Amino acid sequence: MSMSASAVSGGRGAAIVLPIVGWVAKFVGVVLVIATFNFILVHAAPGDPVQVIASQSGAADAKLLAQLRAEYGLDKPYPVQLAIYLKRVVTLDLGYSYRQQRPVRALIAERLPATLLLTATAFLIALTAGVVLGVLAGVRAGRWSDTLLTIVSLLLYAMPVFWLGLMLVLLFSVKLDWLPAFGYVTIGVEMSPLQRLGDIAAHLVLPATSLAAVYLAIYARLTRSSVIEVMHQDFIKTARSKGLTQGNIIARHILRNAILPVVTVAGMQAGALVGGAVVIETVFAWPGLGRLIYDAVLQRDYPVMLGIFLVMSVIVIVLNLITDAIYRLIDPRVALRAAS
Amino acid sequence: MDTLKAFLRHPTGMIGLVILVAVLALAAAAPVLFPDSPWDMVGAPFQPPLSEGLLLGSDMLGRDVAAGIAYGARVSLMIGIAATLAAVLIGVVIGAVAGYFGDKVDDAMMRLTELFQTIPGFILAILLVATLGPTLTHVVVAIGAVSWPPVARLTRAEFLRLRGREFVQAAVCQGQPPLVVVLRHILPNALSPIIVTGSLTIATSILIESALSFMGLGDPNLMSWGFMIGASRTVIRQAWWMSVFPGIAILLTVLAINLVGEGLNDTLNPRVARKVRAA
Amino acid sequence: MNRREFAKLSLAAGAMGITGFPLGITRSAGQAGGTLNTIIQPEPPILVTALNQQQPTLTLGGKIYESLLRYDFDLKPLPGLAQSWEVSEDRKTYTFKLYPNITFHDGTPLTADDVIFSVTKLLPETHARARGIFVRVESAEAPDPLTVVFKLKTPFAPFLGAFDCTTAPIVPKHIYEGTDYRKNPANQKAIGCGPFKLKEWVRGSHVHLVKHEGYYRPGEPHLDEIIYRVIPDAASRSVALEQGTVQLTQWSDVEAFDVQRLAQLPNVSMTTKGYELFAPHQWLELNNRIAPMNDKRFRQAVMSAIDRKALLQRVYFGLGKVATGPVSSKTRFYEKDVKQYEYSLDKAKALLDDMGLKPGPDGKRVSIPYLVPPYGEIYQRAAEFIRQSLGRVGIDVQLQGTDIAGWAEKCGNWDFSMTMNLVYQLGDPAIGVSRTYISSNIRKGVLFSNTAGYSNPEVDRLFEEAAVATSDDKRQELYSAVQKILVEDVPIVWLIEQDYPNFTDKRLKNVITTAIGVHETFGAVSFG
Repeated sequence: MSMSASAVSGGRGAAIVLPIVGWVAKFVGVVLVIATFNFILVHAAPGDPVQVIASQSGAADAKLLAQLRAEYGLDKPYPVQLAIYLKRVVTLDLGYSYRQQRPVRALIAERLPATLLLTATAFLIALTAGVVLGVLAGVRAGRWSDTLLTIVSLLLYAMPVFWLGLMLVLLFSVKLDWLPAFGYVTIGVEMSPLQRLGDIAAHLVLPATSLAAVYLAIYARLTRSSVIEVMHQDFIKTARSKGLTQGNIIARHILRNAILPVVTVAGMQAGALVGGAVVIETVFAWPGLGRLIYDAVLQRDYPVMLGIFLVMSVIVIVLNLITDAIYRLIDPRVALRAAS
Repeated sequence: MDTLKAFLRHPTGMIGLVILVAVLALAAAAPVLFPDSPWDMVGAPFQPPLSEGLLLGSDMLGRDVAAGIAYGARVSLMIGIAATLAAVLIGVVIGAVAGYFGDKVDDAMMRLTELFQTIPGFILAILLVATLGPTLTHVVVAIGAVSWPPVARLTRAEFLRLRGREFVQAAVCQGQPPLVVVLRHILPNALSPIIVTGSLTIATSILIESALSFMGLGDPNLMSWGFMIGASRTVIRQAWWMSVFPGIAILLTVLAINLVGEGLNDTLNPRVARKVRAA
Repeated sequence: MNRREFAKLSLAAGAMGITGFPLGITRSAGQAGGTLNTIIQPEPPILVTALNQQQPTLTLGGKIYESLLRYDFDLKPLPGLAQSWEVSEDRKTYTFKLYPNITFHDGTPLTADDVIFSVTKLLPETHARARGIFVRVESAEAPDPLTVVFKLKTPFAPFLGAFDCTTAPIVPKHIYEGTDYRKNPANQKAIGCGPFKLKEWVRGSHVHLVKHEGYYRPGEPHLDEIIYRVIPDAASRSVALEQGTVQLTQWSDVEAFDVQRLAQLPNVSMTTKGYELFAPHQWLELNNRIAPMNDKRFRQAVMSAIDRKALLQRVYFGLGKVATGPVSSKTRFYEKDVKQYEYSLDKAKALLDDMGLKPGPDGKRVSIPYLVPPYGEIYQRAAEFIRQSLGRVGIDVQLQGTDIAGWAEKCGNWDFSMTMNLVYQLGDPAIGVSRTYISSNIRKGVLFSNTAGYSNPEVDRLFEEAAVATSDDKRQELYSAVQKILVEDVPIVWLIEQDYPNFTDKRLKNVITTAIGVHETFGAVSFG
């Protein structure tokens, strides 16, 4: 939406440069606003992180509390803490976790690959399967396979993603015992790198499928309706009259036009996809950012909460950027304008 | 009346309406069907479905799953509707201001909307509920706070469209204050797409609520479907029924609302059908 | 506080490293050698037990750091670093004789100076529990390198019980003296004198300990190495045990609902022993400052209205026993001859009627908020159980959810009506029990103090006398008296003496041998 709008309004030679400048500005702006917003939010809440640390050592007294408070700079006034925080964010220093006694950047860096792997896999599954199913349904509009797709996508669209995940666990892990139910790798088994890759892939199947399902449904329906729309347009009829085969027409004309709205919507839903990953990671004990932020919230680990929320937002912006780029690549109008 | 007739002829809309009425009836009849609280430990733990007096089985404390589903219907619908009202209120105000005043105001409002669409909404909801504390009100506020942007965009688009119409211009020229112009002349004409979006927002609100409850961020005094599924996760090997039935309840309710929403969409305003679905 | 449960939730993610550690499970038959694979969950922030007393730190650090004594299941002292000890007639002078040839992991010999430095300088700075005990030391001397003499200001009976490796770990003086203890770079190396030393710590994956060749006990340690793996997910931990990839689990590594199933496995045995020093006591805390909780009859009614046997079975899956009073039956000076509170709704209702708390038209007598500790499912289920139980006698309980910091702050600052807590008994009522009931320990902002706000001069006097009494018989007499008063007054609704399962591979020997169980040094542990 926003990016497709900017794509359309971007002028000739500036078609490439202007959006990049705009994106950088937007990027910095969003990051600063989110950082400030977060900071206010978590500091408005009750609860003192120092109490948490103390509560874990079985005995607490005033001396220990004061020690810890000074150690973590929590005795400074809020504006000072905010200024320090923003300054650090700009320099990519996300602070230090009280609870885990490690830099937030290190914690996030450790978890980021798992989350990226999960979301990227889910996104690819949803996109390819969604478009393929959508085209198939579109060119057979009205037949039973089309109706089936419509029903299945309606059901998937109405399904809580965590429940779908649990049902898949129930079927494929508990009943059939085909796939591992939880985790990222099999613990404590010696494996060659290739086996390990296969092991991770096996663990990835259920969470990625659960996360992809709802988007798959959305993309399939979108593709279907735009395929139907495109098929009735004159240039398709012309192509058909020229004697092009059905497969050729689909590949050359229908797909390209039908995929545009999918790309636009995919960009819009990047935020939802990342949010869905949080729930899925909880269901499948997937060791990514989603579980990290959930735990951080529970223990009021401010720097971790702020850091992850920022990183998640950045992921969304980057996903937006990617969909924008894809849009530019496939939209014939944008390509044409840039060329002239 | 014509609209109603058109809706009654809409096949999927009617299927949705029938399911929705059934869910509403279940919610209304919960205290009659299950006089005991859904939290009461009425039977032995882990009883499978169709056990003595336990149609859908019992959970690890011996609570009736069927009673939980009936009372959960009330919670889901209540939170879905309340959060949607909040979202529509915020969205309409922001969209109306943006669309009516245009220019810099529009720019600022849309930037805000864009920001909220960039932030991963569910994570923001988690942060809000976790920091404010898990109560009914806070859950509603959090869902409302992340659900308004589509409503705002839609309202803005409608306002931009209607703003240039002659009857609106005439009212402005007569010197009517902006609030009157908006409430009397623009809003009534923008209402039907907003209603459609609102009805679909109820469905997403129910889904967000269930996900929050699943993660243990629901109001601990309310028996909700998401909570039931969350509690069942660790015992999924022992008791499949604890997670299957509440999930089906959510699925059917959300499906019904979506079908009704689309039916409304097709009958109320075929023109914006595509736009709403994309939002 | 249930550190284990807490830990589970708080860190639950913990971090499962992407780098898999190649797992050589060296299953050597025979007395010596082999690798023990076990679980650490959540990952501790640091391994120096003198600086951090979170439960995972203590479990792991127990292999690295040692103290003067060990304790059998009845909490009687056994030799540790000290081969013998003497207590003077007036119970104010304690003399410990150390074993010869004790060395730290860096090769430096351990002497009496290290003990004195640890006990009188470092621990009172860094270890809140130890501080409460060791401030009582008036002077400490080392007449020779293997003898330590502590003189107390006044007699303090539990002093001899404070030298296990979780309370008084001995650290090297030459490394810590004159430094900022918490920021000392040597903390990363964790240099102690225990049978195992740190080889490698891959964050998010595992901690690798290897044999300390210079260990002072001949032939020990038997094992070559111990690998503690970070496995954040409960289901994965159970699988690891089932498949034999770990040979030991502790605390809540295996969740309560899974215990019965895993106890049937042919390759493992299960015991709940080895928690006697901690003796976790699960209770319902009522704020004694607020009506109607300030009325003894109300608290007694709550005690009668909760079917604690059913609670134990349904929520705790039978892991533990119903608590009868303030002192755990697993620890010292327990008195069983106290007032019994059988489950009786009629009795509860009668008590409430008696205090004039009549039911309203809706059947509710009073509405009370219940702050649910965010330490995982068991706490949530217990809260739901208690709410339904009390609802049956007309006490309307409203659950309030919160996060960990919110709970700690509200509980510490007395901003609650009803909540749950898990508190350790720590081997002696003067250390782990009296703190909850004596009025001098009503300290705002401090967890594990007398947060309920109970105050009774007679109780204060009895606890105070018992702490300094010099004979065990006298102490038993005083503690029995105070337990009778407390059980009559019910300042706290005691629920469950919670048990934790240790699962061990059947080939493993000598794992759980003392009152601190899995926190012990493991020098004597072996396969076969």
